[in-house]
Parts: sequence; structure tokens; C-alpha cells
Amino acid sequence: MHLTPLIMSSSLIIMLITLFLPILSTLSPSPLKAQWALLSVKTAVKLAFFFSLLPLFLFLDQGAETVVSTWNWMNTLAFNITISFKFDLYSCVFIPVALYVTWSILEFASWYMHSDPYMNRFFKYLLIFLMAMIILVTANNLFQLFIGWEGVGIMSFLLIGWWYGRADANTAALQAVVYNRVGDIGLILAMAWIATKMHSWEINQIFILSKDLDVTLPLIGLILAATGKSAQFGLHPWLPSAMEGPTPVSALLHSSTMVVAGIFLLIRLSPMMENNSTALTICLCLGALTTLFTATCALTQNDIKKIVAFSTSSQLGLMMVTIGLNQPQLAFLHICTHAFFKAMLFLCSGSIIHSLNDEQDIRKMGGMHHLAPFTSSCLTIGSLALTGTPFLAGFFSKDAIIEALNSSYLNAWALILTLLATSFTAIYSLRVVYFVTMHHPRFNAFSPINENNTAVINPIKRLAWGSLIAGLLITSNLLPLNTPVMTMHPLLKLAALLVTVLGLITALELASLTSKQFKVYPQQTFHHFSNMLGFYPHIIHRFMPKMNLMLGQAIATQTVDQTWLEKTGPKAICSLNIPMASTVSNVQQGSVKVYLSLFFFTTILALVILLI
Amino acid sequence: MASAYLTHQQKVLRLYKKSLRHLESWCIFRDKYRFYACMLRARFDDNKNEKDMVKATMMLKAGEEEFWANQHPQPYIFPDSPGGTSYERYECYKVPEWVLDHWHPSEKAMYPDYFSKREQWKKLRLQSWDKEVAQLEAETSAGGVRTEALPPARKEGDLPPLWWQFVTRPRERPT
Repeated sequence: MHLTPLIMSSSLIIMLITLFLPILSTLSPSPLKAQWALLSVKTAVKLAFFFSLLPLFLFLDQGAETVVSTWNWMNTLAFNITISFKFDLYSCVFIPVALYVTWSILEFASWYMHSDPYMNRFFKYLLIFLMAMIILVTANNLFQLFIGWEGVGIMSFLLIGWWYGRADANTAALQAVVYNRVGDIGLILAMAWIATKMHSWEINQIFILSKDLDVTLPLIGLILAATGKSAQFGLHPWLPSAMEGPTPVSALLHSSTMVVAGIFLLIRLSPMMENNSTALTICLCLGALTTLFTATCALTQNDIKKIVAFSTSSQLGLMMVTIGLNQPQLAFLHICTHAFFKAMLFLCSGSIIHSLNDEQDIRKMGGMHHLAPFTSSCLTIGSLALTGTPFLAGFFSKDAIIEALNSSYLNAWALILTLLATSFTAIYSLRVVYFVTMHHPRFNAFSPINENNTAVINPIKRLAWGSLIAGLLITSNLLPLNTPVMTMHPLLKLAALLVTVLGLITALELASLTSKQFKVYPQQTFHHFSNMLGFYPHIIHRFMPKMNLMLGQAIATQTVDQTWLEKTGPKAICSLNIPMASTVSNVQQGSVKVYLSLFFFTTILALVILLI
Repeated sequence: MASAYLTHQQKVLRLYKKSLRHLESWCIFRDKYRFYACMLRARFDDNKNEKDMVKATMMLKAGEEEFWANQHPQPYIFPDSPGGTSYERYECYKVPEWVLDHWHPSEKAMYPDYFSKREQWKKLRLQSWDKEVAQLEAETSAGGVRTEALPPARKEGDLPPLWWQFVTRPRERPT
């Protein structure tokens, strides 16, 4: 008897139930124990991680993929929706990665939020978010994916606005919802088009039918959805604003899991995109623009969380570029490796922020390598992995992407932008490490800074191991779908490394200039463009509401009042009729005898003509 | 006595302080900042004995314009200051004290000594309220209230005015 499908389905269902049980326990009327968050939620996620390793190993060993279809939601003549989970390469690899990162973040959050009165609610929200993310990732039909999609959006709103007494947090949460909603229009458009033309939302059926149809319109809808969710250029301002939430939220949602949902959607539906060069070109150019623009914005930021947020946005642009190169597997590899080092960067930042009494500005940090050596070492390891240092996690994905970009015959402009963004990555990573860890402290020493708490050190240690070896592990165990180009000019092969090293040297030079007695401030134009985020939020956040309000005003005054009431409606009838009536009545002179004699005369004339 | 108009000295000092803060945002390392701060102080000190107010006002105007041109787009703001990263962060945990009256008896039973004393405090508040209001009315000047500062209790055995609002104010941080 083949045990593989049985083990696979059982372990996956056990994993889902393990995650769901703590949420069920919150429904009882009795109050939760104080240690519920740590004991129940973190243990559940840890167990779920170990359970999810079983399908992963089965997949790696035997290539076993499962589709679990259960309950029939809707059965009409032409349209069926069932609850079905697809556990293929992408789900089987992503779920253990997401659970590992979530486990570390929950353990960290038990320290970071331990003084929060509503810590249990916080962990509950994180767990609901995780469930929504897993629903999204394992969805075999677009309806279930949409449920997960909206779920992660709502939980993002609730978690960004966790400290709802703060006006900026509420604004940021609203921004996240509105920008994601604009992207959701694209997803709903794609779903509607697919439902009408293909009569199914099952992903396999969509792939079969998309070979015959022209799927450019739904693909553009899906790209719009990815732009909204994954903060591509145009719908990107919500991601740096989302740093208003607590650091565990930033680490989980806005670096590793939620923001990759848009890219994951495109990866999942990549067989639709393979032959559509319009969609691929849009992805490539949008991704290249995003990665360069957000890397430029990250260069001069001073808030450590904003720098990491922009770095996330830049890496998301790189993933979009990879999709534009028709390499969804490479994009997926980058999602998995990026989750490790980005979450670790956020956790290290959170640890440093908490030690310095909520100080987030890197201008007032410094000397952390004496005070918090482990955290600053892991910050350095994370930054090196981010820049693509050979043989760390980021290298396997980032270098492969840039090699694929170099050896493809596509857009050279996108290539230049991406290489420039890679060098900028090195610059701002070095900037963070330089100002946070090096030299002397620039803050007042209040509470003694220590790293004695295992709830902080163990998660960072685990994620550090992930940043070091995850890239190697994943690449050595997964076969690529597209054959990578093996032979190329040495310059092309080393391009990523060269630009990174160039960026590092430039950054070192610039950083050493900041401490010398040269000018007080740099060239204003470029600095201001970068620091004010390209002025994009300032323009759009005033322009769009103004346009909407002016449209409303134009509808109310010009369309309704002026057009419908005056030019075409009741007043128009008045203005047409009154002149006619007055003309006709003015023509009447009152000479009845003349009219009567004329009338008789013409009547007699007519009679005479008739008779004759 | 504070009025609606700033004196020239106040304006100059405000310009000096904000210039220093923005200079601190630009010059990250302390020795470089100290050098340029001393230069700035020297520029202010050179003109501090100017007696012609017209010229002084023109210099102040020029200084403000120079500040506007050279300000930092993201000046350093302390975390708890308005505009900082943890400003108003804990407002959502600051609950008014009348919420304690709405606790369930089983929850109140967890803190019996506090709630028994609370009834006595509430009686005391009712008793002293009239005296507090009388003291405030007597001490308020004819033009109306000028500041938010409250006077202390003047008579023996009296409580300070509006003491209940002060005693039952929420904590700054919920830790």
C-alpha cells in the first residue's frame, strides 16, 4: 500500500488543525491564562513546523505532490467551487519556511511585547494572519486564494494599527488597506474575466484553457494585484508607513510573508504568463523601476526600520524582475531565502530599538558591537546575506537572478537599473551597519544593555543559521524547471559581485566622509529626492483626494445642477417654451375683423377651386 | 508674563535652538557637530550687541531664510516628542478611572483592600468638591483663567483643587 499520499495528507491536515486549535480556545468565555501566548501559540507553531517537515521530505525524496479537495462550496451547471488545497513544490517548501520564521518571531515577540496588556490578543492576530497566509499559499482555486488574500490584508490593517492611540499608526493602517484595495481591483477583474471565459476558478483548468485564449487582460489584472500587495512602484508607499506597527509585525508581515503574496500569486499562475510577452515585459520593467527607486529612497533614510522596509521593497522589485524573465522558480527561491535574512534584520533592529528605549534613529545609535555583540554580528550577517555575499543564503538566489538577467536577450535598461539597485543595496546595508554598530555610542546610557534573554537570542540564532545555510539547502535539493545558462563571459558572471563590491567601497568612502570636517550637508537636490521618497507620497496623497473631491464637486455642480437641471431638464424646457409662447402671443395684434374676413375669403377661394 | 507676541530675544533664541537641532541632524558624529555648533554660536555672538532693532530684525529674517534653505528634511525628533516614533503610542491603554466602577464583582474581589478604600476616597471627593470650587472661584482673576496651573490648598485640612483628576490620572507607560 502506498503510504506516501496518506502520510502527506494526514500530516498537512494535522498541521492545519494544530494551528487552528489555539484560535478555537480563545472562543471560550473564560479568560485566557497569562502565559497562553507563549505556551499555546508558540508551541502550536513550533509543532506545526515539525509536522510540515514531513511533507517536505516526502516531496524532496519522491516528488510527491498532493491536491486535497474536500467540501463542495458551490455546484452550479457550469461552475464548481470546492475547498481544495494544493501541496506542490511551492506550498511544500514555503510552509516550513514560513512556520520556521513565524516560530522565531513569536518567541521574540514574547520578549518584545511582554509589557503590553493585550499580548494574548496580539499573538491571536499573528496566528490568524498565519492561517490566512497558509490558506493563500495552498489554495488550488482563485476563490480560496482570494479568501487568504483578503485575510492577510485585514490582519495587516489590525496589526499595523496595534497602537491605535497614535494618529500616524491609524493613517498607516488605512494607507495599507487603501493601496491593497487598489490592487484587489486587479485581482477581482482577473477573477471575473476567468470566471466568464473559462467557467472555472480551479488553477489546473485555468492553465489548460489559457493556451487557447488571449489572457493579456487578466494578466494585467494580476500584475496590478501584485503591485498593490507587494508594494511595487505606484502602490508602494504603504510599506514604509507600515513600520508604525510593532517590530514583530514588521518582521512577519512586511518582510517575509504578506508582501510576497503578490509575487506568490504571479508564481502560482506563471504557466499563464509564459507565452505572453506583454505581461512579462510589464513585470520586468515594473520590477526594475521598483527595485531602483526604493533602493534610492533607502540610501538616505535615518530610521532603521524604514531602511529595512525599503530594502524589502527593493528585493520585491527584484522578484518581480525574475518573474519578468520567466523564471518563477528563481523568484520563489528568492522569496524563501529573503524571508530568513530579512526577518533576522528586523529582529536585530527590534532588539537594538528595545535596548535603547525605543530609539529608532541610526543617528543616535552606535557602538553596538561592544554593547550587543551577538545582535550586531547577526545584523552584519543579515546585511551580507542581503547583498549577496558568496555562499550565504542571498547569494544563491540573487546571483542566479542577475546571471539570468545578464544572459537573457531582454531589456538592457532593466538590467542596468537592477545592477544599480544591487550596488545601492550594498551602500545602504553598509550605512546601517556602520552607524549602528561601529564607533562610539551617540546615545545616553540609561538601562544597562545586555543580551541575557534567551527569548531574544535563540530566535536570532535560528534565523542566522537559516541565513547561512538555507540558500545552499534549497538549491541543492530542488531541480530547476528551466535550464539555467551555464556558460557566459566572466564579466557577466561576476557582474553582481563586482557592483556589490563597488557599492561597498563607495559606501565606506562616503561613511568615512561623514565623520570628517568637510561640508555640513551633502548635495541638496539628490539628498532631498532620496530622503523625501522621491516626493511620491506627498504628491499622490494630496493629488488623488483632491481629484476625487473635484470630481465630486464637478458631478454635483456641473453634471447634476448645471446639465441635468438647467441645460437638459426642467429649466431647459422653461427656457425653450417661454420665448416661443411670448413670440406667439406678441404676434397676435388683436385685429379680429381682418382675420375673419381673410378666413372667409380663403374658404370661398378653396371651395371655388374645388368645385371647378 | 506671557503674551501672544514673541519678543525679539525669544525669536532669536528659538532660531538658535532649531538651527542647532538641525545641525545635529546633519552632523551625525559628535566632534564634527561640536565644531560646527561652535561656528554657529560665534556667528550669533558676533551680532548679539546690536542696538539698532531694525537691523537686528533684518538679520533675524535673513537667519530664518538661511535656516529654511539649509534645514534637514528628516530632523531628529526624540521618540516621545510630537512627531516621534513612540509619541502617543500608549494612549490606547490609558483608560479613565470610572471604568473601575464597571468591573465585575469577581474582578473587584481580586483587589479587596483597594476597592474598599476607593469607596472612602469617593466620599471624600464629594465632600471636598464644593470647597475646591469655592477656592478656584475665589482665586481666579476677573479676566478669566490664564494658565492651566492649579493653586495648592490654602486652608488647614483642605484638599488641593481638582486633586481627584490628578490622583486618578492614567500612567504614562503601561509597564
